[in-house]
Amino acid sequence: MPPEVALAIFLLPFLSFVVIAFVIRPFLNNRPQLSGYVTIASIGISLLLSLWVLVEVIKSPGHELSMPDYQWLAIGDTAIHIGVTLDALAAVMLIVVTSVSLLVQVYSQGYMRGDPGYPRYFAFMSLFTCSMLGLVLADNLLFLYLFWEGVGLCSYLLIGFWFHKPEAARAATKAFVVTRLGDFGFLAAILFLYAKTGTFDIAELYVLAPALLSATALTWAAIGVFSGAVGKSAQFPLHTWLPDAMEGPTPVSALIHAATMVAAGVYLVARMFPVFASSTEAITTVAIIGGFTAIFAASMGLVMNDIKRVLAYSTISQLGYMMLGLGAVGVAVAGGVLEPEHGLMLGVAVGIFHLFNHAFFKALLFLGAGSVNHATGTFDMREMGGLRKAMPWTYLTFLIASLSIAGIWPLSGFWSKEGILAHAWESTPILFYLAMITVFMTAFYMFRVVFLTFGGEYRGQSEGSHGLHESPLVMIAPMVLLAILSVVSGWLPISELLGGESHSFFGALASPLAWASLILAGLGILLAYAIYSKKWLSAESLRQRFAPLYTLFSRKYWLDELYESVFVVRILIDGLFAAFHWFDDRVVDGVVNGVAGGTVAAGRGIRRAQTGQLQAYGLAIFIGILVIVACLFIFD
Amino acid sequence: MNLYLLAPEISLCALALVVILLDLFIGRKWILGAVSIAGLIVPAAFTIALWGTNETSFNGMLVVDQFSLFFNLFFLVSTALVLLSSTEYASKFAAFRGEYYALVLLAAMGMMLMASTRELISIYIALELTGISLYALTGFLKDPKSSEAGLKYLLLGAVASAVLLYGMALVFGLTGTTHLEGIKAAISAEGLLASPALLMGIVLLVAGFGFKIATVPFQMWVPDVYEGAPTPITAYLSVASKAAGFAVILRVFYEALGPVSLDWSIIFAVLAAITMTLGNVVAIWQTNIKRMLGYSSIAQAGYLMIGLATVSALEPGAIGSSGPSALVFFLACYALTNLGAFIAIIAISNKIDSDEISDYSGMARRAPLLSLALALCLISLIGIPPTAGFMAKIYIFSAAVDYGLIWLVIVAVINTVISAYYYLRVIRVMFLGAPLSEERVPSSGALRAALSFACLGVLVLGIYPWVLLRIAEAAVRMFP
Amino acid sequence: MLGNFGYIGIFLISALGFAIFMVLIPPILRRSGIVPKKPNPTKSSTYECGMETVGKSWVQFNFRYYFFALLFVIFDIQVVFLYPWAVAFKQLKLFGLLEMLAFFLILVVGFIYAWRKGVLEWK
Repeated sequence: MPPEVALAIFLLPFLSFVVIAFVIRPFLNNRPQLSGYVTIASIGISLLLSLWVLVEVIKSPGHELSMPDYQWLAIGDTAIHIGVTLDALAAVMLIVVTSVSLLVQVYSQGYMRGDPGYPRYFAFMSLFTCSMLGLVLADNLLFLYLFWEGVGLCSYLLIGFWFHKPEAARAATKAFVVTRLGDFGFLAAILFLYAKTGTFDIAELYVLAPALLSATALTWAAIGVFSGAVGKSAQFPLHTWLPDAMEGPTPVSALIHAATMVAAGVYLVARMFPVFASSTEAITTVAIIGGFTAIFAASMGLVMNDIKRVLAYSTISQLGYMMLGLGAVGVAVAGGVLEPEHGLMLGVAVGIFHLFNHAFFKALLFLGAGSVNHATGTFDMREMGGLRKAMPWTYLTFLIASLSIAGIWPLSGFWSKEGILAHAWESTPILFYLAMITVFMTAFYMFRVVFLTFGGEYRGQSEGSHGLHESPLVMIAPMVLLAILSVVSGWLPISELLGGESHSFFGALASPLAWASLILAGLGILLAYAIYSKKWLSAESLRQRFAPLYTLFSRKYWLDELYESVFVVRILIDGLFAAFHWFDDRVVDGVVNGVAGGTVAAGRGIRRAQTGQLQAYGLAIFIGILVIVACLFIFD
Repeated sequence: MNLYLLAPEISLCALALVVILLDLFIGRKWILGAVSIAGLIVPAAFTIALWGTNETSFNGMLVVDQFSLFFNLFFLVSTALVLLSSTEYASKFAAFRGEYYALVLLAAMGMMLMASTRELISIYIALELTGISLYALTGFLKDPKSSEAGLKYLLLGAVASAVLLYGMALVFGLTGTTHLEGIKAAISAEGLLASPALLMGIVLLVAGFGFKIATVPFQMWVPDVYEGAPTPITAYLSVASKAAGFAVILRVFYEALGPVSLDWSIIFAVLAAITMTLGNVVAIWQTNIKRMLGYSSIAQAGYLMIGLATVSALEPGAIGSSGPSALVFFLACYALTNLGAFIAIIAISNKIDSDEISDYSGMARRAPLLSLALALCLISLIGIPPTAGFMAKIYIFSAAVDYGLIWLVIVAVINTVISAYYYLRVIRVMFLGAPLSEERVPSSGALRAALSFACLGVLVLGIYPWVLLRIAEAAVRMFP
Repeated sequence: MLGNFGYIGIFLISALGFAIFMVLIPPILRRSGIVPKKPNPTKSSTYECGMETVGKSWVQFNFRYYFFALLFVIFDIQVVFLYPWAVAFKQLKLFGLLEMLAFFLILVVGFIYAWRKGVLEWK
């Protein structure tokens, strides 16, 4: 396989972006549908090329292709090389990104029809896909970070796509700012690692970082990298942006939640896994944050009324599972329980296998939610109900995805969740119990959605149930494809390819662990059935019974309020910024504002005020000199 | 005494005189701008012809080496961009266009001399030549704001000059010479390493030059002056004048005060941290884009000073060249980026007659290319790839890390994060806001040419910084 | 080298001392009773000698004087340069002549500028 293939995978979506932004939008604006075709064609070819890469990777010994790299620039004696990495991990991720992205683009043809920003939408989507592919292919941290930021930027643009809605603009800013908090730690860690090892190359860091850094330093570096992943993958405590990111178009949510944005964090931990596994403290942090996030987010998913918000919390929770899977195996490796040679690949296999399966069923769930919205015009489940009859295809595919995410045998979710649970059981029992409770909660909230949306009678006010209709074929077709993938993706030998363990189709049912989780999931479904379908239990009375918990969950543990009112408003805005603002306002700005005030008083005003002002400026110079001198003589 | 070494400066001076005379005798004033811009080819050609020489003249006062030639070209290019962006703006002051162009050219000549003199008094004269031209240019609009800015700049500039002269006097008093090499020799020979008087002199020099580059606490003039000055002059101040300050600091501190580098590098490190923090945090509150860019340029000066602070802490007196080369490279990247941003602002404000950020709402629909260019420059100012700003930050941060200034890099990285907020806000307003009117915002050919040059430079340096980096390294190689 | 600052220090101290001494003389003489207190209006005025000022000090004068003053300074400096040049003319040879011509040329440009701008006309 020529090395240009790898570059082409990444460059094709970029080309599509360039064509849409600079050719279609300015010159062919009357034929916006062209932009959709260009995007689909380019990502489709990328998918085919990714499949080629996958085949080559499977054929090659050690499941890794060596690619030439190029010197990009040199600072003094150190040179930075760029190249692509093509191992099993990258190949699997390429498939996930291109396939989900392709199906989402096809779906968007129907969903976004008639939107005035149609070409802009596809331009951003292409760029989004391109950044994510670049992130996956990068073989050094510098470029990884570059595309990492690119992904962040595109998510900002897409979440804020309907910028005329204030909530959308707000959500976009929130997503960008919150993830940047994590990015700051990531960047600091990259620079720190570079300072200590002199390389950005990830493969070299596997060896050099544990060798050259002290244990404490390594821990901090790994935690710095992890903070980036926490931001991007919406782990506690930086998870608040993801539910708000619902303000973007639904296909964008599908892409963000399944393949591009949030997957980047998990991918980063997997890519840097050998570094994480060298530090017990760091990898334990990953496991704990992951396990905690899984149950924490699931608890909030229990009570949301907005269908997309439930799905958002379920994503956070599932990402927590992936982190837990990586962390649990990593803890075993760091503790010496597992041989590093085997354990390092196993950890990646456990985490990424779930990411792989999750990508399909989560994309499907979002597309289903979009389809429902297409028919009802709302995302509020209290105004839905009875959609099963009007939208049979949406119902069927949504049901398959729900069963899959709940971990029902033999759908895909079952296989990867089992892997995570089994390893959590072995290395971190406490987190295992949390994860088991989460299994129950997941099944419950997903089927709460299913019964509220598709079961019962239609409760919407705006129009009668006769107005409901199934979505067009262009939207249904991708959903059906994704439904098939949600069933079978677990049967693919992805785990083996990544170096993890294989599983037999029926043999999995022999383990007591599998039965325990299946029973818990079944109980969850049953409870949802009892409350929302048969109404044996009244949801209202339950809510009153558990009022404190309900309030806690539905107010999202007051974390948004905490962050905004305490951190942002009190500390930053009221405190620090206000102090500087006051200084600027009173000391620097006073005169200038006076000038702008009116031309009548201007002449006299300026002259009088200027004298005072200049004295202040001059005084600052002299005080500055005195302070510098004093400091020098005191500290010298 | 080799006058040929002075050819770029002499030809520039002649050009300024020609422009003044032309102004007296011709009616079609657009010719003045054209002559000024085209005439810059002559000094540029002389500079390129001199490339590779390393000689001194006028008893060692004038030195022509890679460093001064690099800065000659730097100033000529930024002057050309400023003049290009002035051609349309100049219609605002119909009466004195010839003087405007001539003063810009004379200021450029002063800056070129600042980079190529090696003697304190000549440095001072060059500094004043630049300064006085710029004071006049700042007040050129003659409206209350502009006059206020000009007067403030003049008076505070005089204060700074006094401080600088005092510092020079102290250094001269201690070493008995005004030649930089002689000062260096005297410091080593006479055991002045620990002299408190010398330290005092250094602080005063830092203050005097610090005024030029607008470091805290000598930055107070910046917002007022930047806001009041004609916008092309604001661009000129923020780029060329600042670069000249850095050039002269490199010259004086690396050549003359190298033996006491430990003393001044820590001053620059601490001032850098304070400067970038204050600049960024205050910039967040600005509603006027020129004022915001004023504070942004203060913050950028903070990043630039990291390059001054990167002196090896390991062995006293050892000076690394990666700091200066990173600084010079950063200056070039910053110049293109900031000029690009200002040119876009000039183009927009020529039409909408406002500098308020809120008036830029929906500009992407009224002037798509201008908005895109401005967004690119702002992204470069944040330091997001693939722009020049990113490369510049990478180089200067890595130089600092190499010299063990990790704390400073951490502060700088935090600042970069903060700065993203206010730069992105402008982009958001432009691209996501509702347009205030449907009227398109056209721009002149000269502005578009200048803006394309700047944006192209930003992108090229962001992707392929090699060539310029080699030149920057060659430029600072003669620093010991 | 530092010794040179010693002289400056002595100079500074004696200057300060002189000023303080002069200020202190009258109160000392007065307190010690050597000088009796006999005030009269002339003695108490700020300046004992000279004329009473007439009118305000904010007198307006024609701005054009300022232009002429500037032009005067230009030619004044020219003359200041011309004298030493003329004295050393023989030693400086041709280069000296050319250099002075260049200097003249720049001044002449300034003069033409002033002329064309109408500075020389008294309106």
